[in-house]
Amino acid sequence: MIDRLYDQAGGKDIAVVGLYCDFLAQQEQTTSSMLGAMLKQLAIRRGIPEHIQQEFQKAKRVFGGQGLRLPDLVEIMKKAVAVLPRVFICIDGLDESTPKHRRELLESLREIVRVCANTRLFLTGRPHVGGEIMTCFGNVVRIPISPTPDDIRSYLEMRLESDTDPDVMDDELRADIMRVIPEKVSEM
Amino acid sequence: MPPERQRVTGNVNSFNILTNYNNIVNFNTEIDPEGREILQWLSPLEPQQRHQSVRTNPLDGIGNWVLETKKFRKWSGAEDGCAEQVLFCEGNPGVGKTYLR
Repeated sequence: MIDRLYDQAGGKDIAVVGLYCDFLAQQEQTTSSMLGAMLKQLAIRRGIPEHIQQEFQKAKRVFGGQGLRLPDLVEIMKKAVAVLPRVFICIDGLDESTPKHRRELLESLREIVRVCANTRLFLTGRPHVGGEIMTCFGNVVRIPISPTPDDIRSYLEMRLESDTDPDVMDDELRADIMRVIPEKVSEM
Repeated sequence: MPPERQRVTGNVNSFNILTNYNNIVNFNTEIDPEGREILQWLSPLEPQQRHQSVRTNPLDGIGNWVLETKKFRKWSGAEDGCAEQVLFCEGNPGVGKTYLR
């Protein structure tokens, strides 16, 4: 998806930053570390911007290198986004973050999106977080995802290729699997 | 695979892998030790590592149809200020949201 946005942008100078939420990483994936990870991706585009270096020096002097607070991160992020023609922010698996982090993250993003008209958010998640996203942003394009028969066929081919017991497979069984399963799944 | 991609993949040990963008010149931006310290200070997370494993997974490319939908095209191609800025792809676990490309 991230790659695709680049391709579509052609030669235009856009930035795409991305994040995958993970149940197993809920401890590390705080709102600040998630936002910071995206800022980091923006920051290395052309060397670290002056304003970020200044913040770092300030933090080092005053707090002995203490991490940034969330409101500071949002402010820095706004500055970093504002100098670019267009920024796509992609966050995968929003439902995998904790409800508290998710709310904070969405609120932070709302602030960034509100101030920076050049920002686009691409979010994925289970349907139940849709309500939170709608409440937060109001205006949201929603696309329901369910696998198409082609997707299912790709998946089956991948699984059949990595079959650990290929001796019991023959052409007929393979053909049956490829025909019946996509049909049945599409009926569900 | 376009040449810039190969270049990215071949550059795994440098900080340049952290993001990929169109302008090849940007890949050559050197990050000095203090720069690395700043990046670490911004966040300990490295989402790029996950991105590499997603893009090399055989499932990558599933759900291509989403990117051809009118809704997606309108969202990604719209001018600033005249469009919804937020797109939400919703689906149950395992439908392939992560592998959209």
